[in-house]
Amino acid sequence: MSEQLPAIIVLAPMFGSLLIALVGIKEQRVCLPIVVASILASLFSTIAVAQQVFTSGPIDYFMGGWEEPLGIGIHLRVDELNALILVVIGIVALLVASFSVGRMGRENGDKAPQFYILYLLLCTGLFGITITADAFNLFVLIEVSSLTSYGLVAMGSNRRGTHAAFNYVIMGTVGASFYLIGVGYLYMKTGSLNMIDIRNVLNNNAAIAESNAIIISFLFILVGIWIKMAFFPLNGWLPNAYSYCPSTSACILAPLMTKVSVYVMIRAMLTIFGFDWIFSYPFWSDLVVWLAVIAILAGSIFALAQREIKKMLSYLIIAEVGYMVGGAWLGDSGGWGVTGAIYHILADAMMTLCLFIAAGIFARSFNAIHISDLEGLFKKSPWVAAGFVIGALAMIGVPPTCGFFSKFYLVRGGIDAGHWEYVAALLISSLVNAILFFRIFEIAHFGNKPPEGHGHHAEEVTPVKGSWNSSAPLLLSAAGIILLGLFNGQIVELIRIAVDDIPSLSANLKF
Amino acid sequence: MLSKVFATIAVVITGGLLLFGVYDFPSFGDPNSPPNAGAEGGGESVSQYFITHTYKDTKVPNLVTAVLADYRGYDTMFETVVVFAAGIAIFCIMRVVGNANDPRQKKEREGMHSFTYGDHNRIIIGTTCRVIVPIIQLFGLYVIAHGHYSPGGGFQGGVLLGASFILLALSSDLNSALKRFSEYNYFKLAAVGILIYAGFGLTSQFLGENFLDYGVLQPLLFTDGPEMARSHSMLGVEIGVAFTVMAIMFSIYANLASQGTLKDGL
Repeated sequence: MSEQLPAIIVLAPMFGSLLIALVGIKEQRVCLPIVVASILASLFSTIAVAQQVFTSGPIDYFMGGWEEPLGIGIHLRVDELNALILVVIGIVALLVASFSVGRMGRENGDKAPQFYILYLLLCTGLFGITITADAFNLFVLIEVSSLTSYGLVAMGSNRRGTHAAFNYVIMGTVGASFYLIGVGYLYMKTGSLNMIDIRNVLNNNAAIAESNAIIISFLFILVGIWIKMAFFPLNGWLPNAYSYCPSTSACILAPLMTKVSVYVMIRAMLTIFGFDWIFSYPFWSDLVVWLAVIAILAGSIFALAQREIKKMLSYLIIAEVGYMVGGAWLGDSGGWGVTGAIYHILADAMMTLCLFIAAGIFARSFNAIHISDLEGLFKKSPWVAAGFVIGALAMIGVPPTCGFFSKFYLVRGGIDAGHWEYVAALLISSLVNAILFFRIFEIAHFGNKPPEGHGHHAEEVTPVKGSWNSSAPLLLSAAGIILLGLFNGQIVELIRIAVDDIPSLSANLKF
Repeated sequence: MLSKVFATIAVVITGGLLLFGVYDFPSFGDPNSPPNAGAEGGGESVSQYFITHTYKDTKVPNLVTAVLADYRGYDTMFETVVVFAAGIAIFCIMRVVGNANDPRQKKEREGMHSFTYGDHNRIIIGTTCRVIVPIIQLFGLYVIAHGHYSPGGGFQGGVLLGASFILLALSSDLNSALKRFSEYNYFKLAAVGILIYAGFGLTSQFLGENFLDYGVLQPLLFTDGPEMARSHSMLGVEIGVAFTVMAIMFSIYANLASQGTLKDGL
């Protein structure tokens, strides 16, 4: 049974969505239990698989039992790198599912079963992207996750959401096509779709590895994934799509879609092409770090200019994507940059989840769309405020939250690699985050207007009763932020194993 | 204007890069190219393996179907899921449900009646379609059932079956097609299609092998060997694919043609 777990991670949400399509459309009551049960099944399998991986090394699973020769079937592989990300996807999906309770009727009308079908298929796609070791299978699952996310963005009652979804469809399709073209070129030169097989060819055959077609395939894969992760200046679709969609959709998409795309980039760099090959062409590594610097600064500056809470958070995501891309491309000899980038995938998933759940609660319970609407938040609802503050502090990078440690590793990588511009951009962006969030704290605590004179007549504030099914996920994600920060040593150790192992992986792949 | 200039520059750069890469490709039809013979330094060639082993492994003469439905069956299952997700997404965006008195929805529905009440008693069109629809459906069934012997398979057959329902809706009206194939039924059928596909995989998991390893289904399918079990299972999953594709094709048409009301439409 335990050897079937890698398949169950991907398949459990898919079967859940089919069950909803069969019985949930008539009986809407059963939808949520099915969603929670299938995500729990995935989450338990991910945890079991992760434990196995951490104790005894990577696990391979071959669909249909087609093992030899490598590449005829589809190969799933869990190593230290994606085991961590699988667990985070499972946790985020579970928290958002519990956040969605009670929101369905208001946000999605009578389409709750369809919403949950798309939601579970999105989880299937994300799990599948993360677990696969086949370059083409990755494309198929990108399709699954993209199509479902277009639907999730467009289905709100907000017409601007539908319009944003259209932009997202166009950009997302371009990105996926670029990725597919890249994989096609790669297949043309190496004759294989299996990541490890491709890597073997590139390692052992210098004539192929140095050919122009491989360089161009790498460029297309990279740009395709950049569009998917909204790397500046390819970010046009993201802010509107995440601000105007139903808040449940925003809560699942914002933490996971961009982060899983960053994972795909790191996977392509580490496993398919290999750091040795990439950094043998120094011109583009410096260029990408500069692009990341621009992305960080642009994301922060645009975030400063926003008045809507969700828009501001969306631009912060763009800045965070810059952190991760820059970190992965630092190319320092100790590997701290890429370690920090991978740790930041986990940290940013939790931080973004926390902040977007908070924004969803603000929009629902306080009718607060703009930052200035948050007046008196701390008194009205201290628990929601506490969760939001922890998320905000993590975004700024205050210890002991995970945001501090990821920045610490990224800065260390930047210093080791001598990319001072990246270090400076990280610090400036932290400062901007501090300004942004302390402005919100000020409004939330003192109100928009400064108190006049000494007669500070505190107005009676009626506490807003938030429902526990929305504030519990918020507080749990805040707890996740702190736990991730406290256990950063152990997590980084696991990431180090992956980063050190994967370059030599072709030598020690065992069946 | 400026955006057009930028777009042109982007297109030229992208196209130029692609052509530059093509220049590096092995020549067309080269039997020693990496996709055909494997690359030096890599493992055994995948295409050579397919050509030499497919019939031995699966007893399916059509290599493409065997690669699609067996060796890479996991991909094909998710391609079917993509189709399903597209249908559900279009339902979510287009379909008008719930409060019929909602002023916004009412306004949207106005102005679309001009073309809907045409003359539906068109004798020539009606009669021709009545004759053609069963033939299309029969051909669709043939394409599905013969997928592992000749070009064809679940996707193509499913499209043909879906097209036959669309033709029915075009020649008479949407309601008479929906009477035969209601919304509740087509979403159910779409889910059943994927469930058939994934069910083959799940059954082989229960019998102790990996997902979609059809060989172990031999005792359930009463075949002479695991190879024939693979062949029969491929037919089974093709049928599942056809169900989903047919249902989703028609659902997308119905939603788009009636702007989500499923009332009269084109």
